[in-house]
Amino acid sequence: MMGISEKEFAMLARLARLEFDGERKQEFMSEFEEIINFANAVNNAVAGDTESIKDTGGDNVMFEELREDTVKESLPNEKITSGVTPVNGYFTVKRVVK
Amino acid sequence: MKYEMNCGLETHVELATETKIFCSCTTRFGGAPNTHCCPICTGQPGVLPFLNKKATEFAVRAGLAVGCKVNTVTHMDRKNYCYPDLPKAYQISQLDKPLSYGGFIELDSGKKIGITRIHIEEDAGKLVHERGNTFVDYNRGGVPLIEIVSEPDISSAAEAREYAEKLQLIMRYIGVSDCKMQEGSMRCDVNVSLCPAGSGKLGVRTEIKNMNSLSFMEKAIEYECERQAEILDEGGVIEQATLRFDEHTGETYVMRTKEDAQDYRYFPEPDILTVIIPEETVERIKSELPELPFDKMRRYTDELGINAKNARLMCRYKNLCLWFESALSYGASVKHSVNLITGVIFSFLSTEENKEKFDLNLTAAEFAKLVKYLDEGKITVSVAQSALLQMLQSGKCVNEFITEDVLLGTSDGELEKICQDAIAANPQAVADYVGGKEKAIFALYGFIKRATQGKADMNKVNNILSELLNK
Amino acid sequence: MKSVIGELSALLKSRKISSVELTKKYISEIEKKNGNLNAYVHLTFDEALKNAENADKLIKEGKGTPLTGIPMTLKDNICTDGILTTCCSKILEGHRPCYDATVWKRLKQCGAVLLGKTNMDEFAMGSASETSCYGAPKNPVDVMRVAGGSSGGGAAAVKAGLAAYALGSDTGGSVRQPAAFCGTVGFKPTYGAISRYGLIAYASSFDQIGILSAGVEDAAEIYNAVCGADEYDMTCCPRNMPEIKPEVDVKGLKIGIAEEFYKGLDSEIRAAVDRAVAVYEKAGAEIMLVKLPSLEYVLPVYYILACAEASSNLGRYDGIRYGSRAENYSGVDEMITITRSQGFGKEVQKRIMLGTYVLSGGYSDAYYKKARVLREHIKAEFNSVFGLCDVLLAPTVPQTAFPLGYSGGNPIETYLSDICTVPANIAGLPAVSVPCGVDGKGLPIGLQIIGDRFNESAVLSAALFAEKSGICDIDGGVL
Repeated sequence: MMGISEKEFAMLARLARLEFDGERKQEFMSEFEEIINFANAVNNAVAGDTESIKDTGGDNVMFEELREDTVKESLPNEKITSGVTPVNGYFTVKRVVK
Repeated sequence: MKYEMNCGLETHVELATETKIFCSCTTRFGGAPNTHCCPICTGQPGVLPFLNKKATEFAVRAGLAVGCKVNTVTHMDRKNYCYPDLPKAYQISQLDKPLSYGGFIELDSGKKIGITRIHIEEDAGKLVHERGNTFVDYNRGGVPLIEIVSEPDISSAAEAREYAEKLQLIMRYIGVSDCKMQEGSMRCDVNVSLCPAGSGKLGVRTEIKNMNSLSFMEKAIEYECERQAEILDEGGVIEQATLRFDEHTGETYVMRTKEDAQDYRYFPEPDILTVIIPEETVERIKSELPELPFDKMRRYTDELGINAKNARLMCRYKNLCLWFESALSYGASVKHSVNLITGVIFSFLSTEENKEKFDLNLTAAEFAKLVKYLDEGKITVSVAQSALLQMLQSGKCVNEFITEDVLLGTSDGELEKICQDAIAANPQAVADYVGGKEKAIFALYGFIKRATQGKADMNKVNNILSELLNK
Repeated sequence: MKSVIGELSALLKSRKISSVELTKKYISEIEKKNGNLNAYVHLTFDEALKNAENADKLIKEGKGTPLTGIPMTLKDNICTDGILTTCCSKILEGHRPCYDATVWKRLKQCGAVLLGKTNMDEFAMGSASETSCYGAPKNPVDVMRVAGGSSGGGAAAVKAGLAAYALGSDTGGSVRQPAAFCGTVGFKPTYGAISRYGLIAYASSFDQIGILSAGVEDAAEIYNAVCGADEYDMTCCPRNMPEIKPEVDVKGLKIGIAEEFYKGLDSEIRAAVDRAVAVYEKAGAEIMLVKLPSLEYVLPVYYILACAEASSNLGRYDGIRYGSRAENYSGVDEMITITRSQGFGKEVQKRIMLGTYVLSGGYSDAYYKKARVLREHIKAEFNSVFGLCDVLLAPTVPQTAFPLGYSGGNPIETYLSDICTVPANIAGLPAVSVPCGVDGKGLPIGLQIIGDRFNESAVLSAALFAEKSGICDIDGGVL
């Protein structure tokens, strides 16, 4: 498989909420191609059906082990919002005019 | 009509658990912004979800109540999309192993609307936009939801409404949600597509998001149906799109089209292990299901002889039914109980919300005492009605209001004696009556009312008098 | 190196030294050496002295445990309430979590003393700690070389005596590889043995908190204190976890050698591992050859799945609730995009893009889903191998510590250096790296011991043998 098109790259960047300007984009796309080629080993290794992925080594949890529905105290608003400057207790994104 | 409509509903119902789906914060409605929050439900770096057992049980219960099968091996998935009300930038939901699947809801017409699946997921927070500023409150974030997806079996706006009402009623009955549309604890997305009548093929569908009132939902479906029909009439094609219904204009607007559809990049949630629900647990949950509204309605009409209208009215409120059934167990008669409930109690609990809560300061036992006075003919219906109203208002017991002075001239024997006294005391009136002046009997009525202080059952009086006078 | 906790603990218990005094000694060492080594990125000396006073009180009251009063450090991706935890990323600049990670909560209860937070690759993505926004830590053995990654700062701190031990995290080898590069013990327990609550996620199904220590007994002591079920981590096993007491005796121990681990190996490393195997055999262990053909795919499988999970895990850094935020933007959407583009470094952005790609509609079948299938194959192969033998011996890294600045050059080659460590993460197995000699340049070589799930006992026992038999003794030149 080839690398990805500019259009696809733009779509991925939009989903990832990242932006790349011209030079960085070219650099990124070429490295990306290299990595995708590396990942292609996987694509080529498995033929056909991937629908029935069985988790062999994984652990399960029994219904009874799920969390009991008992309220615990929430954190104070000041603590929850301590990383930002809240407005009336809200997380806030203020309008900024560039 | 030359088109047939196929409509399916995706109904989101907030579960009535005490705590959120992945943390132990309260689910209580309201509260100052970001006060029902912890590191987990605000998506702080490093936190992990721990699935709520009750939420899981409620989802299974909901499934069983609408005839679904249960996936006893189930897992959660991540649905990735970035929006400020979603603190992790993914919603933990279920993609290919919903907790239950394959049920139905039966409409009054007997038509069955299929339920494709019911899965659990977390609610998002609340965004407020104000003059270009954005404010975010995560109190609702992480409240457990079930999404109930119907088959596109619905063919009219009225059917959609009936389906949603029945679903709402069932969810309330089984206690998994209060389903308050105005508070957002129940909301519907509606898919609508048209196809030429009789073709049996599904057309291109549009989805109207987030309906929070049943009447708006009906209007939106009707509008969308007409809109699509017009396009098809003109030979156009329907574009797959997500729509918003404007309550003020009564029209639908495109939010996004297929081109900018989201790519949710679903994958199995690695932080939550596969959950195994043992068969015994499913059986236990099934056995704990209460009598469902439509079974109850059938029992009320078929076994208790309540007319269909009253049975339907009463069965809308589960707490009321429980209270009513308790009164019956104290020996109250069905007929008088139903009349007093649908008359006095319904007007006392004027709002839908009050009827739903059915939070009376009158016990079923005390109500039954009152009904029994009526059943035994010791009081009149109007006395019973006014006593009941006063009991409801004051919270006092029946003896406070059914005192000597309202009790009917007790035994029939006594009443007969009073009637005889009346005849003896009014010879002229008796003669006039016997002579054909029917109105003359009012003199006797007056005597009897005075003698019984107006508590006499006038039907009985009539019977006794006509018997005595015809001798 | 040899275990230090036992000795320090004895000194503290007998009150020959107080925890405050001991802590001050470490602080003065850090002040002397950290400027050069860059092992620590946040120093918490005030906190440390408070912890130490508290520890001294516990010891006085007879409530001490072997970890009480011992100065240590946490990787910068393990949350500490009110104390900087930044994942060495600009996007979490100034971030002080509002809660404690379970491991830190448990250690704090034992009276542990937190000296600071140690350097790492940004969001643990890297093999040299060179993607850190604070610059790379240096290898105490040779400061022109990297300390490894991603838990490079922790390994450097332990090696240089700037902490008695360190907790790190191991997603694809991030504890074992720096341990091998610096010549310390690096232990990654079974996936699910230690709660991940409060470990800032890179790749959830691979991430595991691990231990960097001077000796194997230290690692066991720390493991016993932090392992076990947690009401905040569903993936942390509720099973009974017996205390681990490693034994030196390897008589009858069945050791598997899988040739797949030895491909493209530096000859000096091959020789060191072979020598170690011979010592085990001489002591009565049974050596057998086993096959793990699917190891061919571990690297692409790892990078596909880890990046997929990372792309999702790192979606939350949007500048709204914590961390840095762009200054100039119009509207929330643009704020998020600019914040992320400015806040994440190049390697992190690359992995987010790759993860987004392998999960996206058109490619999920070709990459993500196939990688999941292969992961199950690999797990199954390990399962059958552990039906035959108790532990696998393998090199930890195919090379010794590379020069500073080298890893930036060729991404694929750097990825390939994880070939020996990634399999244990793919299959969730316990694995430990212990020193096993040095190469011609005097750089430490790591011997890796991998065991079956929840068989940490066998892994640490075999490691303890390596230590006691002199395999580990890189300074003595016994071998």
